[in-house]
Amino acid sequence: MNDIDGTVRTVVKDEGPPPSLLTIVLDTNPHAWAHLSSTLPLSTALANILVFINAHLASGNANCVAVIASHSHKACFLYPSPTPPSPQPHHGASNGEVEMNGPADRPIYSVSDNPNKYRPFATIETAILNNFAKLIDETDEAHLSATPTTLIGGALSLALSFINKSTIHHSPTSTHADALLSLADADGKHSERTTLTSRILIVSVSGDLANQYIPMMNSIFAAQRKRVPIDIIKLAGDTVLLQQASDATGGVYMKPERPEGLLQYLMMGFLPDAFARKTLIMPSAGGVDFRAACFCHRKVVDIGYVCSVCLSIFCEPTLPDNLCMTCGSYLSLRSAQMNPPALIPRKKKKKRRAGGTDSATPGGSTPAGSSTPMHG
Amino acid sequence: MSASSSQALEYLEQLPVQTHRKLYEQPSTVLAIFRCMLPQMAKTIVMAMLYMPTPFPAGGLDAWFRPEATKVKKEALYILEKLHITVLTQDASRQSACSLYSGFAKSLRQALEGSGSHRSFGVPSNKPEPNKVSIQFLDEYAQRQWENILFYMVGSTVGFGSSVGQEVGKGTKSLLEAGDFVRMSHGKMNITRTGFSFVLQDTNAQVWSLLIEYLRHASQLGMSETDVLNFLFMLGSLELGQDYSTDTLSPTQKQMLEDLTAFGIVYRSSKTSSTFYPTRLAVTLTSDSGALSTTTDPLATGGASGPGLRSGRDATATGFIIVETNYRLYAYTSSLLQIAVLSLFTHLTTRFPNLVSGKLTRASISRAVRTGISSDQIISYLSAHCHSQMQKTTPFLPETVTDQIRLWEMEGERVVTSNGYLMKEFPSEKEYRDVVRYAEDVGVLVWKDDANRRFFINGIEQIQGFLKREAEKRKQRG
Repeated sequence: MNDIDGTVRTVVKDEGPPPSLLTIVLDTNPHAWAHLSSTLPLSTALANILVFINAHLASGNANCVAVIASHSHKACFLYPSPTPPSPQPHHGASNGEVEMNGPADRPIYSVSDNPNKYRPFATIETAILNNFAKLIDETDEAHLSATPTTLIGGALSLALSFINKSTIHHSPTSTHADALLSLADADGKHSERTTLTSRILIVSVSGDLANQYIPMMNSIFAAQRKRVPIDIIKLAGDTVLLQQASDATGGVYMKPERPEGLLQYLMMGFLPDAFARKTLIMPSAGGVDFRAACFCHRKVVDIGYVCSVCLSIFCEPTLPDNLCMTCGSYLSLRSAQMNPPALIPRKKKKKRRAGGTDSATPGGSTPAGSSTPMHG
Repeated sequence: MSASSSQALEYLEQLPVQTHRKLYEQPSTVLAIFRCMLPQMAKTIVMAMLYMPTPFPAGGLDAWFRPEATKVKKEALYILEKLHITVLTQDASRQSACSLYSGFAKSLRQALEGSGSHRSFGVPSNKPEPNKVSIQFLDEYAQRQWENILFYMVGSTVGFGSSVGQEVGKGTKSLLEAGDFVRMSHGKMNITRTGFSFVLQDTNAQVWSLLIEYLRHASQLGMSETDVLNFLFMLGSLELGQDYSTDTLSPTQKQMLEDLTAFGIVYRSSKTSSTFYPTRLAVTLTSDSGALSTTTDPLATGGASGPGLRSGRDATATGFIIVETNYRLYAYTSSLLQIAVLSLFTHLTTRFPNLVSGKLTRASISRAVRTGISSDQIISYLSAHCHSQMQKTTPFLPETVTDQIRLWEMEGERVVTSNGYLMKEFPSEKEYRDVVRYAEDVGVLVWKDDANRRFFINGIEQIQGFLKREAEKRKQRG
């Protein structure tokens, strides 16, 4: 009988889950995909991801998607298509840019009037394929030989900024002043109102991302603060960093044994959004490798030296001028290595005259509870 | 799943398996059912199984869900089973496993991949149209047609005279009567209880209600139910402002076009035109976004005169009602339809060119309750249309007002009835408790009396299945 006394005052209007934004960071590193070409060529992977995107869009009417390519020389949006900067008045040849890519800008794929395809799917697919083809066309040999890895840090920050922007747009009371206000204070108050649930999915193929340790860690902490889970599907290579990313943000980490089954992995492991994950047991990385990379050589280290001011990590004690490379404060690590830590001999406690309670430890010669092992 | 599509789901659920199988041949239908009808967890299960080469073992499914979420899982599986989307199979070693009905899986894959040659997402007309109509025109057209229908229902009841309803077609009128939305008595038309709840729903739900009524009567008119449903789901996946060719439509669907034109769901320039345009009412059939409230350009509609129905519409986009804690109500509207709807449960006192004001009184609410409007309907109507200033507070409406509306309603009804079944005479305490727990899990339990081992449920099918399975288990054991 409780339900008719009207204690439930808020009228539940929409029982459905909140709209969810899926941001896919696709690692398009050509070197790594070349290695994978025998089991899972990039074209197949892309086709699988497109089906996955369609499945995500079909899962909720207000669901949206963004795709970011993390390429070898730049990170860029594949969807939504980046709007070209508004045409500026031409300053002659001041920037030395000649419009050479005029005809090349023509879309390679166009939204055909295909009666076999749901229209919203077709538009997104076409945009992604066009932008991807453009990205591949722009890549030349100089870019490829410059680096064997990918700009995952930049792509991740693009993803986070996009999520932030969409969240503000989606927030129920999104007047202009409010948007500015919520930009100013990014605290819990704003996230309460958020109706958009976002997540990031990184499709990663490159190993060894330690050279981007700092930007990556910063993005991870930003994601953690914004409560954006980072899901990782690791098709090849292995990095400590990405495992930490999914662990710190509560995302899913998966390293498929058979990359050719990508679609099934995506559909089962990565499609459920935050709402559905509450009722499901999601796979996660078993043992997470929490090792950090040093700031000087970007190497993953087991034991390092830490600046006492800014907590930067260094792999070896020889710093130039004994100054911390990050904050510039004086940091003489050499002395730390040379001299074994000094142990100050423990002062004898004053014996209490009154009462013989201390009889169990005669003379107080027993070392105090915490027994720090000393080097002899 | 929104409230509007849940009634469509109810209708779909009671269709026989043959109809389901036939429906699932169309990828657009499958996609629409998947997008709009299934609850979130059912979608997740379907997607997990879609590209799975082997059936999903029941043990694996159990392991995938958290132990505390069994209720959600059972609900999801129940709906999937009822719509005949999943098939339970048993392999040689008596391990039960779940798999998708092959026709459904095939169509859903085709819809996601865009493969096949089913042409079910509408064939755009390639012929250049000399007098192509704009989106704004389509919106206005849909709005006019739809509001005429609503006004026809409400207008005569609240006493706007007998002149209303002249723009509404004869077929629509008889459909409204057949669906028991309105009733003729002594040559005067009166709105019924279902009619009231119809008017107070949001547009999307209204469209579905009317279309479901249409479906029920389709077979009498010699139309095939599958054809009608397929066409409706296809309409939901079309694009606004694009003209589509009628060449690929079946005769039934061509016949439907005429009726749908009368509702304002599609637009045709003439009765013999070879193309048709879906309006906003159609393309939002399978989405949650409000059908008519998304009118984009307020200036465009503000200038329209007409019968005074449209001019107030621009305010709807943001909401127009203000309710104060002293039960006074102000509505910034000049639309006759909205005034008529408000006057169903408000004591309106003054009318200004762009504003009506009145008061929610005990008399006005109990009058509404007597004619069959529930307090929840009133509250949800008010909060759905409340002014943007009021939307800044949560809940939108003052709590004193919502509570008082409920209390006024309760004055008249102290007893709640619910139809269902009484289960009693359980042989053992354990069996009783098992069945009760199952009933609670699937959400059909209304009342229970542990001492006498009796309980009351409002749905029997699941319990029957459960009891049958239990009996089989016992037989195998014994």
